[in-house]
Amino acid sequence: MAQAKITRKDALLYGGAAAGGFVVGGAAVTAVAVAVENEKAPVAGAPIVARYVDGDLPETDPGSDAWGDAQPTLVALAAQQIAQPFLEETLVTELDVRALHNGSSVALLLEWDDDSVDDLDGIRRYHDAVAVQLPTAPGAAPVLTMGAPGIPVHILQWRATWQRDIDSGGKTGVDQIYPEVIHDVMPDDVLPPRTAQLYWVAREAGNPLAQVRRTTPVEEVVAEGFGSVTHLPKQTASGHGVNEDGRWRVVVAVPSARTGVGAPLEPGSSWPAAFAVWLGSEENRGGRKHIANWQTLVLEAKA
Amino acid sequence: MAKVRNWQLGRDMEYPYVADRPAKQFTMIMDTNKCIACQSCTIACKSTWTWGKGQEFMLWNNIETKPYGFYPTGWDVNVLELLGEQEWDGDDVYTGQTVFEAAPAGERVLGWAPAEEDWSHPNIGEDEPTGSADETTYIPDKPHSLMWMYYLQRICNHCTYPACVAACPREAIYKRPEDGIVLVDQTRCRGYQECLTACPYKKTMFNLETRVSEKCIGCYPKLEQGLQTQCTTACIGRLRLTNYLSAPDEVDPRKPADFLVHVRMIALPLYPQLGLEPNVYYIPPVHVPTKYLTQMFGPGVERAVEMYRNAKDDPELLGLLMLFGSTERIWHTWDVSDGVARAYDEDGEEVVAVPLREPTFTRPFEFATEVAGEPVTGFRHNT
Ligand code: SF4
Ligand code: SF4
Repeated sequence: MAQAKITRKDALLYGGAAAGGFVVGGAAVTAVAVAVENEKAPVAGAPIVARYVDGDLPETDPGSDAWGDAQPTLVALAAQQIAQPFLEETLVTELDVRALHNGSSVALLLEWDDDSVDDLDGIRRYHDAVAVQLPTAPGAAPVLTMGAPGIPVHILQWRATWQRDIDSGGKTGVDQIYPEVIHDVMPDDVLPPRTAQLYWVAREAGNPLAQVRRTTPVEEVVAEGFGSVTHLPKQTASGHGVNEDGRWRVVVAVPSARTGVGAPLEPGSSWPAAFAVWLGSEENRGGRKHIANWQTLVLEAKA
Repeated sequence: MAKVRNWQLGRDMEYPYVADRPAKQFTMIMDTNKCIACQSCTIACKSTWTWGKGQEFMLWNNIETKPYGFYPTGWDVNVLELLGEQEWDGDDVYTGQTVFEAAPAGERVLGWAPAEEDWSHPNIGEDEPTGSADETTYIPDKPHSLMWMYYLQRICNHCTYPACVAACPREAIYKRPEDGIVLVDQTRCRGYQECLTACPYKKTMFNLETRVSEKCIGCYPKLEQGLQTQCTTACIGRLRLTNYLSAPDEVDPRKPADFLVHVRMIALPLYPQLGLEPNVYYIPPVHVPTKYLTQMFGPGVERAVEMYRNAKDDPELLGLLMLFGSTERIWHTWDVSDGVARAYDEDGEEVVAVPLREPTFTRPFEFATEVAGEPVTGFRHNT
């Protein structure tokens, strides 16, 4: 397959177009995943139909049997080359997406191949992540530039680092990056705790990225263009990710009401949805990511 | 890309943002000739700002032994190699490309990202050799064939056109309009480390606990109280001056930094050809080959070296240099009379006075004194 990229021209050209049939790098997406037992084979370019579930959604369980009822859609990924800095090479070409909803929440299961688990940040060391982008208002899909001034988009991003923060109870720093580390005197050895913490400036200043004690691995933000991601004061998203056999399986869920963020994700409605995947081992971070063009997310009407 | 004026290059250049010079520009002048690599500055900085967990790799101030010392490893030779050979047209105009102009497609800056081990050898080329004896700068023959080395003092340059600012997709790095200090907004940074790749001086660093970038803050809480930085006041060699530099069209020869940089042109920028208009200025080491110095400090090194060699006959310059390291306070003007240099604050009040020549006292080698009422004679040792 030719090297896949999404350039600024593509973004403007395809941005408002209906989902599906997206062609990358001159080659139509033909890959078909092998179906496993009780699993539906992903279908390229098909709308992502969120099946209605009467009851709880598997919001933190990527292994739940409930996912077997949802039809996966194969979404083509390509290197982000719309805004600087670019991702040079496409190293993951497919994201499988399926969805469920129960009238009060929407949950998506996102799966992609990645045989290296990158869940610690360090010097030139980046993490795996996946994001779902939804418009805040109904209508045609906005341009594929993470919104635009006055046209905010709603983004849910799961990060492997945040998952590890939760799974390990916040043990995701120097001692984990360098297990053999020997510390000299550290502020908390000699200063009262409140004073010692001031040395973690970003954490003390309230930067959400700098926290290690958290309750969800999914960050909820709005953006009005590249570089404008803004952490929402009220975080409502949930999720969970596991990597098994070289594949990430990540659930990202959000309440349908989207209070204070955008129009509710009503049963029976249909929404453009775009995706992004980061491979930490390939130094993906920020705009250096794999992106998908707008797809269609259909929320089944209540039974 | 906007067109901005870079006076160090003698021309306009491309930069992602329009020029917006601060009201005054923080600057530091370093007299490389006086440094003994005691690292008092490094420790003063480290023990003030970066001894927290997660900052183990960080030295906002470092001293490197040139030509073979670097922190991070190879920082300058790597960017020079990337940029390739470039030209100056005489002494005045740089005709080569800057790191902004040479940026490849999809990037805002031509840069490279140091690996973690590159940050792990801050004393390479000094106490730590670059390899085994037979393949490195260990020179068994005498006299040595390599006849020079010197110490380079490094902090963030608080550049007029920072590459860290240019590269940050979040606009999380900003230059303070009041004093030109460049800061990483600790609430906005999302840890993409684009600044670590872009800054050719490698002066933004990644905090392993808070997962965002941090950098030299120019000791701004001290500046705001009219005090010089920690590295300046800790300097045993008294070779640093924290001050403010005027834009080239607003030069005031009564101000110390303007005098050194714009009037006498004895203090030169570090790798000006990269195009950032860095605001730390160096009096070049007088014993180092001109070719090497020209690569590092641009054209004008011969004049600067000559000026420094003649400083003893130039009371105005000598007095200014004597005032380095004489007070913690930031001073704004100075004069020299009757063999004494005096520095003044913004209101013209004297801050400190220093003799151009320290008085000499001679103590006899043999001495006689009394201990417990008994006469004692002895010889003075080196204490
Ligand atoms: S030296 Fe580097 S970190 Fe400092 S202002 Fe310049 S580009 Fe930014
Ligand atoms: S304190 Fe002064 S003399 Fe000592 S290493 Fe630093 S700059 Fe050099």
